[in-house]
Amino acid sequence: MKRNGLVLLLSGVIVLLGLVSGVTAEEGVTDTEIHIGQWGPQTGPAAAWGSVARGTDAYFKMINERGGIHGRKLIHHMFDDAYNPAKTKAGVKELQEGVGIFAWVGGVGTAPGLAVRDYLMERGVPWVGPSAGSRHWIDPPYKYLFAVYPLYEIEAKTLCRYAVANMGKKKIAIIYQNDDYGKNGLMGAKEELARSGLELVAEVPVNLTDGDLKPHVMKLKKSEAEVVLLWTTVKHALMTVGISKAMRFTPQFMSTSTCSDFPLMMHISKGAWEGVIAASFGELPDSDYPLMRTYKQEAFDQYAAKDERWGVFYSAGIVWAEPLVEAIRRCGPDLTRERLVQELEGLRDFKGISGNISYYPFDPNDPGCRQGQREVFLVQCLAGGKAKQLTDWATIE
Amino acid sequence: MDMKRDYYEDVQLCTSGVVVFWLVALLIGLAAFPFLASSYTLYMANFLAINVIVVIGLNILVGYAGQVSLGHAGFFAIGAYGTVILMSEAQLPFFAALVLAALIAAAFGFLLGLPALRLEGPYLAIATLGFGLTITQIIGRIELFGGRQGLHTPDLIIGPWHLESDRDFYFLLIPITVLLAIAARNLTKTKIGRALIAIRDAEIAAETLGVNIMGYKTLAFAISAFYAGIGGGLFAFVLRFIEPEIFTLLMSIMFLAMVVVGGLGSIMGSITGACLLGWLDLQLRNILEIPYLGTWLEALSQEWFSITGVSNIQLIVFGTIMVLIMLFEPLGLFGFWIRAKKYWKTWPF
Repeated sequence: MKRNGLVLLLSGVIVLLGLVSGVTAEEGVTDTEIHIGQWGPQTGPAAAWGSVARGTDAYFKMINERGGIHGRKLIHHMFDDAYNPAKTKAGVKELQEGVGIFAWVGGVGTAPGLAVRDYLMERGVPWVGPSAGSRHWIDPPYKYLFAVYPLYEIEAKTLCRYAVANMGKKKIAIIYQNDDYGKNGLMGAKEELARSGLELVAEVPVNLTDGDLKPHVMKLKKSEAEVVLLWTTVKHALMTVGISKAMRFTPQFMSTSTCSDFPLMMHISKGAWEGVIAASFGELPDSDYPLMRTYKQEAFDQYAAKDERWGVFYSAGIVWAEPLVEAIRRCGPDLTRERLVQELEGLRDFKGISGNISYYPFDPNDPGCRQGQREVFLVQCLAGGKAKQLTDWATIE
Repeated sequence: MDMKRDYYEDVQLCTSGVVVFWLVALLIGLAAFPFLASSYTLYMANFLAINVIVVIGLNILVGYAGQVSLGHAGFFAIGAYGTVILMSEAQLPFFAALVLAALIAAAFGFLLGLPALRLEGPYLAIATLGFGLTITQIIGRIELFGGRQGLHTPDLIIGPWHLESDRDFYFLLIPITVLLAIAARNLTKTKIGRALIAIRDAEIAAETLGVNIMGYKTLAFAISAFYAGIGGGLFAFVLRFIEPEIFTLLMSIMFLAMVVVGGLGSIMGSITGACLLGWLDLQLRNILEIPYLGTWLEALSQEWFSITGVSNIQLIVFGTIMVLIMLFEPLGLFGFWIRAKKYWKTWPF
C-alpha cells in the first residue's frame, strides 16, 4: 500500500515536471533575447583566425541595430579557446549549462570542433557553420549539425576543370599537405582529371613541419608541370612560389580558398603571389556585390576595432552565421530548436555573401543533406593584391 | 617543528591524527561534491584531477630526484593513444588498456632516463624537450593512430557500468587520483624515495653511500612517465577525442610550472599547484567579467594594446600570478602552507 502511494507521488511529480518544461520556452530564447555561442582562438598558435568570431559579432550587432529578429536581440557569447580542445570543451559546457545557449555558430578548427561535437549533438543543440572544411561534420550526418564550408575536393575539381577546359593545360601537378586537408584536394584533382583522361604529372606530399621545400619544388620542376596546385598551409604555399621563382620554374599556380586573402598574400610574398589563381567560397572583401558593401558599411565600419582588417576571415564569420540568422527569421516569433532545424532544412538556394546554400531533410545515409554550400568561384591575384574574378559561382559534384 | 625523533616517525604515511582527520574530511567532501556541482564544474574537476596525477608523477622526477623534463606531454600522449588503441584494436578492457599504456609510457620513460644519466640542467631539459616534440610528430604520421585527423575514443564500459556523463567519469577519476597520490606519498617514504632525495641533494655522496645512481634515476623517469601515461589515458576519455596537436610543448611547460608553483618535493604542493594553475588556465578567460577589475583591464587594453590585446590580458595575468608566487615564496604554494602552519602553531595560547 505504502509502495503504491510512493509510485503515485512519483508519477505526480513527473507529470508536473513535464507540464513545467512544456510551458517554459526553448533554452536560450526569451521574449527579448536569443543566446548564440561561438568559440574562436584569440590567443595561441591560431590567433590569426580570431577575426572569424569578431566578424560574426559585428554581424549580430548590425542585426540588433536594425531591431533584431522578431523583437529579439541576438546575444553573442564568444570565448577564446586558444585552439586548445580541452579549453573549447570547458567553455562550451560552461556557457551551455550556465547561460543556456540556443544554438552555436562558426567555431574555428577541426580538433576543437570534434572535441565538442558529440556533446552538442547528444543534447540536441544546433550548430551551424563549423569554421573548418572537413568531412567530419557531414559524414556521417548529424541532425543538428549544418556545414557551410564547401568541401576542398570541390575547389580542387573546379580549379582542374578551369586549367584543362579554359586554359588548355595538360600537365598538372599538386603539392599537398599530408593530412585530411591535403588528401581531399588530391582526391578531387585526380577524379576531375580522370574525366578528361589525364593524370597528375607529380604528387608531392609535404609535412606540416617541413622547413625546406627545395626538394619538393625540384620534383615539381622535373615533372615539367604547367599548372601546380598548392594544397598546403599559407606558409608552405608562399615558400613553394618563392622557391620556384628562384629556380626559374614558372607554372600557373593555383591554390585553395585558405590562400585567397590576396592583399595579405601579396604583402607577405613581396609581390610573388601575383598571377596565382585561387578558389573562393565567399564574395571578396573589395567586391561590389551590394550585400557585401552593406556588411562593410553597417557591420565592419560601425563595430570593428580600429586595427581590424576587412579581410576574408572576418567576412567568413558572417558567412557561417547567415543561414542561421535566415532560419531564425523564418521561424517567426515561435522559436524552438526543432522548428529551427525544419527551417534550415527548408533553405533552398539561399543566397548571402557565399554561394547558394541548400539543406535537405535529414537522411542518415546522405552526407549531402547537411552540406549547405557547394559552390566556389575562381579569382586571380593582380598587382597590388587586387582580385580579378575569372568564373561565376559554380559547382562540380 | 616537525622534528623527527625516530625512524618510524620518518616513514609514517600520516604524521598526526589531525592530518588523518582532515584527510578523511577531504575524502568525504570529494565524495559529496558530484551531488552538488553542475556538469561543467565536474568536467573541470575531472580535468584538474588529471593534471594532479601528471603533476604528482612529474614532482617525483623533478622535486624528489632533481631531474627536469620538458617532454611530459609526450608521455601523456603515449598514455592517451595507447589506451585508446589497445581498447579499440586489441579489444582489451579499460583498466588493462590503461595500465598497459602507462607501462608503455614508463618504458619510454626508462629509455629517456638513459641519456639523462649523462646530462643535467639545461642539457637534460633540451633532450626531454626533443622527446616530447618527436613523439607527437611520430604519432601524427602513423595511420593506425589516426594521423593528423585524430581518434575518437570508444565507449567506456567497465563491467556493468557504462560511463557517459561527467559525473560517471568523476567517480572513476577521483579514486584513481587518490590512490595514485597515496602511492606517491608512500613511495617518498620508502628506500626509493630516500635514494632519490639523496641523488638530488648530492649525487656523488649518494653514490659513495651505495645508492645505484643509474638504477634510481631511470626508475624516477619510469615512475614519472607511468603517472603521465595514466593521466593521458584518462584525459582521452574526458575529452573523447585526441589528436597529435593537443600534446604541445606548452602542455609540457604547464605541467612543469604546476610542479614548481605547487612546491618542489611535496605531494600536497603538487595537488594544489595543479589545481590552481589548471583552474586559472580554464577560468581566466572570464577575467573581463569581474566587476571593476574587468572594466579597468578592458579600458587599459583598448588604450594600449592591439585588437586581440583583451584576450592576451589573461596570459599576462596568468604570468604575473606565477611570478608573484615565485617571488614571495620560492617554495611555492607548499611554502605558504609551511609558513602559515608555523605562524599558527601556538594558537590559541
